Amino acid sequence: MKIVKLTLALLLSISIVSCSSDNDDDVDLTGQTGSVVLKFDNSVGDLDFAFNTSFDRANGESFKLETLKYIVSNVRVKDSEGNIFMYPTASNVFIINEAKSNNAGEIWVTLDGIDAADYTEITFGIGIDQERYALGADGQGDFLAEAEAEGMLWSWATGFKFMRFDGTYSSSTVTDEGLNMHMGSVGSSLDNYKEVTLTFPNTILVREDKTPEVHIKADIAEAFDGVTAVNFDDGYNQVHVDETETGVIATNLTGMFMVHHVHNN
Amino acid sequence: MKNIFFLFFAISFISCSNSSEDELYTPIPLEVNVPSNFPEMVYNLDNNPVTEAGFELGKALFYEGKLSANNAIPCAFCHEQAFAFTHHEHTVSHGLDGGIGTRNAQPMQNLAYQSEFMWDGAATHLDFQPIIPLTSEVEMGETLSNVITKLSETDYYKKQFAKAFENGAINSENMLKALSQFMVMMVSSNSKYDKYVRNEDGVTLTDIELDGLTTFNQKCASCHATDLFTDQSYRNNGLSINPKFNDKGRFNIFENPEDLYKFKVPSLRNIEKSNPYMHDGRVATLEAVLDFYDSGMVDNGNVDPVFRRDDGTLGITLSDYEKESIIALLKTLTDNEFLNDERFAEF
Repeated sequence: MKIVKLTLALLLSISIVSCSSDNDDDVDLTGQTGSVVLKFDNSVGDLDFAFNTSFDRANGESFKLETLKYIVSNVRVKDSEGNIFMYPTASNVFIINEAKSNNAGEIWVTLDGIDAADYTEITFGIGIDQERYALGADGQGDFLAEAEAEGMLWSWATGFKFMRFDGTYSSSTVTDEGLNMHMGSVGSSLDNYKEVTLTFPNTILVREDKTPEVHIKADIAEAFDGVTAVNFDDGYNQVHVDETETGVIATNLTGMFMVHHVHNN
Repeated sequence: MKNIFFLFFAISFISCSNSSEDELYTPIPLEVNVPSNFPEMVYNLDNNPVTEAGFELGKALFYEGKLSANNAIPCAFCHEQAFAFTHHEHTVSHGLDGGIGTRNAQPMQNLAYQSEFMWDGAATHLDFQPIIPLTSEVEMGETLSNVITKLSETDYYKKQFAKAFENGAINSENMLKALSQFMVMMVSSNSKYDKYVRNEDGVTLTDIELDGLTTFNQKCASCHATDLFTDQSYRNNGLSINPKFNDKGRFNIFENPEDLYKFKVPSLRNIEKSNPYMHDGRVATLEAVLDFYDSGMVDNGNVDPVFRRDDGTLGITLSDYEKESIIALLKTLTDNEFLNDERFAEF
């Protein structure tokens, strides 16, 4: 018991010391950079997502997926003073693929070279914005080949699928009907790029020797049970380029993400 | 110890000088021809400035079979220079493993001045256009990553990518940029018509050509607009629906019923050489094209209102002489300098 108390006291004092040094305004962070790890964790409501597992919806329909991917881009973080650090554009586009998740069901995105600071919020886009698209091949490196290999390019037109939810759904009228949600933009005629801003529950401290981890929960059911709930039976089991349908899904996706917690390591 | 150090120094010096001769990034800019009678260029050259080495690389890729799954179908397979880079005498084209496409290969010229590509506008950036034929199962049937792997194993491309791009990377970005550099240079603007409108070399049009121009401006130029001879819009021109393809055209892009059977208004440059005509190559001659517009259109449910006559019938009324003179005018759009330009030729 005494040992426990002592340990607690020791821990407490250590954390006080470390806290006070972290928050020390006298420390000059200029020129210092660090990394941040974003951990995307897909779920369906309160259930962790799993492939080939049937999930029920409030409207009586159910679905299971074989493919679950989406594109995240233009990641930037804002510090407590309002300064924004934008990750370098050329490498600021990521395919979040559930099939590549670790045993904890997380897909990690490691961002290096972030200016050391105390950050309070994160913003990112879902899909590819018009500015990046207008660059053509410029600055894309191997991302086009990667997107193609991941099936995130349309095959019949040039453009990116912002999401791929592929599987089947069942309802009172059909069983194991195809479910393919491939929302994206088509050139500049149809722009479905949207951004999300999330506040961190605690400030994250990026330092040369500190790599905070941001655990982002993505409730994928928001795609069809979000701001505008839609029925697969009404045609939303096949979402590709229809202007109305893709707009609904794109807006719904913005409600999919929340920062569950952060670790200041 | 000193000797070893010296040796090491000498080796590194030698290896440096070796690589610098063959594989150094050498950005010698190429001037892109901007004809004075053309509208503004769409392609942004700032993102992809054309250089000698980049153009040469793009040309090599255009004629490179490795871009296809069986290593035998280059872009040029369906885009032959002598026929304004079309698939000569093919209604629709064939590709990998006998695959048959559903559309007529379009000419390649003045692409830097267009904002959308393909008959239905499926490509919305010139850099991305090659991805469609490259990955189509009935055309080249490849994947970008596999092409990159094959190119990376080839000595020529190792050297040429290094010469053409500062980072020297053999990747999809640089491959597509090189292809665009080649395509951006493909400008057809030295036909008899061009020289006439620019008042060059004292070139004049004959009487029948001038009559054709007058009729053309009255009856054709609202769609075949500007000196690109296209307003780049999508229109349903009243072709009957070929049940073999039931090609819905622009509808495929947005699934918008208003787009049913619409296809992009094609340029008319080098039209004399790019037969057959229409999106599926169903019309063999220019005479037959004009006969179609005069009396062959059918109401497929969504025909562009521009073709509706006052009495409700469809078509553009053309007398025999008007047809003859329009064809005479169209032949002045043949640009032999472009069709024979060695810069774009395989050999």
